[in-house]
Amino acid sequence: MPLKLNASLVTPLLAVRGLGKSFSGNVVLSDLDFAVHAGEVQALVGENGAGKSTLIKVLGGVYQPDRGELLVEGEPTRLRSPRDALARGIVVIQQELSLAPHLSAEENIFLGHFPTTRFGTVARGEMRRRAAELLDSLSIEIDPSVPVGRLSIAQQQMVEIAKAISLQAKVLVLDEPTAVLDEKRVATLFALVARLKAQGLGIVFISHHLEEVFRICDRVTVLRDGRKTGEAPIGEIDQEWLVARMIGRDFPAHARQARRFGKPALELRGLSRRGEFEDVSFAVHEGEIVGLAGLVGAGRTEVARAIVGLARPSAGTIRLHGQDVRIDDPGKAARLGISYLTEDRKAQGLLPNRPVRENATISSLGRFTRLGVLNLVKERIYVREMIGKLDVRSAGMGTEIRYLSGGNQQKVLIGRALAVEPKVLIVDEPTRGVDIGAKQEIYALIEQLVARGVAIVLISSEMEEVLRLSDRIVVLRRGRVATTLSREEASEETIMRSAALAA
Amino acid sequence: MPHEATHPGYGAMLRRIGAGRLGGLIALVVLIVIASLLSDRFLTVPNLLNVLRQIAIVGILAMGMTFVILTAGIDLSIGSILGLSVVLYAGLLESWGLPVAITLGMLAGAGAGLVNGIGVAYAGIPAFIMTLGMLSFARGLAFIYTGGTPIPILDETFYNFGNGYFLGIPIPALVLIATLLASAFVLGMTPFGRSVYGIGSNEEAARMSGVPVRLYKTVVYVISGGLAALAGVVYSSQLGIGTPIAGQGYELDAIAAVVVGGTSLFGGKGSVWGTFIGTLIIGVLANTLNLNGVDPFVQQLVKGALIVVAVFGMSRANRT
Repeated sequence: MPLKLNASLVTPLLAVRGLGKSFSGNVVLSDLDFAVHAGEVQALVGENGAGKSTLIKVLGGVYQPDRGELLVEGEPTRLRSPRDALARGIVVIQQELSLAPHLSAEENIFLGHFPTTRFGTVARGEMRRRAAELLDSLSIEIDPSVPVGRLSIAQQQMVEIAKAISLQAKVLVLDEPTAVLDEKRVATLFALVARLKAQGLGIVFISHHLEEVFRICDRVTVLRDGRKTGEAPIGEIDQEWLVARMIGRDFPAHARQARRFGKPALELRGLSRRGEFEDVSFAVHEGEIVGLAGLVGAGRTEVARAIVGLARPSAGTIRLHGQDVRIDDPGKAARLGISYLTEDRKAQGLLPNRPVRENATISSLGRFTRLGVLNLVKERIYVREMIGKLDVRSAGMGTEIRYLSGGNQQKVLIGRALAVEPKVLIVDEPTRGVDIGAKQEIYALIEQLVARGVAIVLISSEMEEVLRLSDRIVVLRRGRVATTLSREEASEETIMRSAALAA
Repeated sequence: MPHEATHPGYGAMLRRIGAGRLGGLIALVVLIVIASLLSDRFLTVPNLLNVLRQIAIVGILAMGMTFVILTAGIDLSIGSILGLSVVLYAGLLESWGLPVAITLGMLAGAGAGLVNGIGVAYAGIPAFIMTLGMLSFARGLAFIYTGGTPIPILDETFYNFGNGYFLGIPIPALVLIATLLASAFVLGMTPFGRSVYGIGSNEEAARMSGVPVRLYKTVVYVISGGLAALAGVVYSSQLGIGTPIAGQGYELDAIAAVVVGGTSLFGGKGSVWGTFIGTLIIGVLANTLNLNGVDPFVQQLVKGALIVVAVFGMSRANRT
């Protein structure tokens, strides 16, 4: 008589017990229990910085646990390297795929374990046949002989998964696989996940999109600040339950009154830069937020770069507090009181291997300098106060900034922008890659600044963000101002219509 | 913040002095213990002063190199710049007098550095290529100036500078210490120094932050060239001769000292304190091999192995 097994009674394929991990005194995971069973999709959710990535790296053999144990099929195991993890059937598929772009799909699948002829060369025929079989069994429809560099991201992901299966994977960890996929591709991926689950694999699924968790997962584990704050079968919970455990605090509803502006702070008149944008004119007043909306490539960031002197406009003028100014470099912009928070934190913002303190003050060293000498005590007092005000959570201002979560990194960069005491602040995608909690805090911060009379230009691809914060919205389309919408006129629909549709 | 030292400036000061180079310091202490076990003569005042005198030239070069490497650059031309400055000191001394000779030689060194800096920072030529070109160019100038023959230096004041003592310490060692202190001050306590680290850590971010990146990168090469000429003063006054081959290959010794001292070739991480310790490690090793009569050819092997092992050890230690 077949027994119906309750998953929790069976030995899990992969589990950690009492797991702890810290980096230079920064506790990232503590006392964590987590398990994946055969034929189960286990979701792992949490804000950025909650410890998901670290947990995955422990599961994949990249990091060794400081405390606790890791069990593979019930057996305490030490995974010394990703290779070790692979040998035990644990495959992690990162967001950044790790395929060789010039090799074909079949070559990628069998890279490292090619079928060989008796002369030791690759048995091409057999490889082709086995690749075709494998892809077929997973209902993956791609040409196995095409170099993977020419496949779409979604197809490359499939190749990675096929490769994992060819390696006899028992546990498959998918780190935000849907972040790079559109809705249709997500459905294809989920169908594949369902088939793998039916074949008895244990799957760990990470996603920021909570509705996806409800679509394909059986159980969910919630992390916050490196601890488990909830675990439940998916049928017993709802989205609110998840969100409450992810953020652990309530946000006040954001009803807000109309703002009162002062005089014009920044005015663009017919600003153009050949090939990028043309005849862009708008003004931002003291105490006003102007949203700069538009599709990717509409020229929003290019306009910002021209304002702060990173690119020279070919025509038009920039007026600051009623006076024409010429801005040749970001240093000049800062001296004039214009600060820019970049959209590309990693490439253009962070000094990754320098401490938080130096990251915070690199733009404003002048205020700590007397007779050419830095006053380090004054600097530290200032940074300590700033860290407190912006609620940056890190092991201290001496921590290298690369060890902070995205949200905390962004807060430090906001601190850097504010340290020059700007009168005009341009924020470009201020909440990209930060978690829900930090997002709310960044909004609150922007609102505080504008209340103090700072003029703010907000560039954002998140409609909700633009609508929530802006007093007026300038919509760019193909480098030109398509329209300017008042707060009353602005809605997701009106913005999209001007941004995306030809006049 | 409970994790930070209570006195804001104090922790920073300690960190600056220790500079996180504890690994290098421990290696140095171990080396000194071994050296004193192997030879009775090692731990004597005259021998230790001798070590300091011997490392002065490479030490001074390595201080300049540290600035450059912190910006993620490299300066291969410092050995040649030293050579150029040396022949200028020797050649100008007799007819123009000591102050003019020194001034012009130093200006030539700084000038060569300025050319490097402009090439790297403004023309966008890779530092490796630009300074490789200067390596050949400055050396060529030195040969042309001398016609290939060394110029003797017959100035007693100058000779005493390289071979004399002040308060019982060899003057070249004092020059090295002064260079170290000045460099540490500039890197740790000025906006320029802070920006040097920023440029090395992420040049684009530094530019976006308002750091005058091109200017500062240029200055870094001027410092490197200027310190090469200063090392040239020590060199020519020690040897009493201006030879156009002076300093050949020294750039590699300087890079070795910087790297053994824990400064990252990728920029943004390291300190002149580390470089000083790196210089000492290499100097003490050479000294103890000499004291124990090790074949100079074999010494090369040991030095090569040390560099690789030291850097490997540090990269392991830095992994958390």
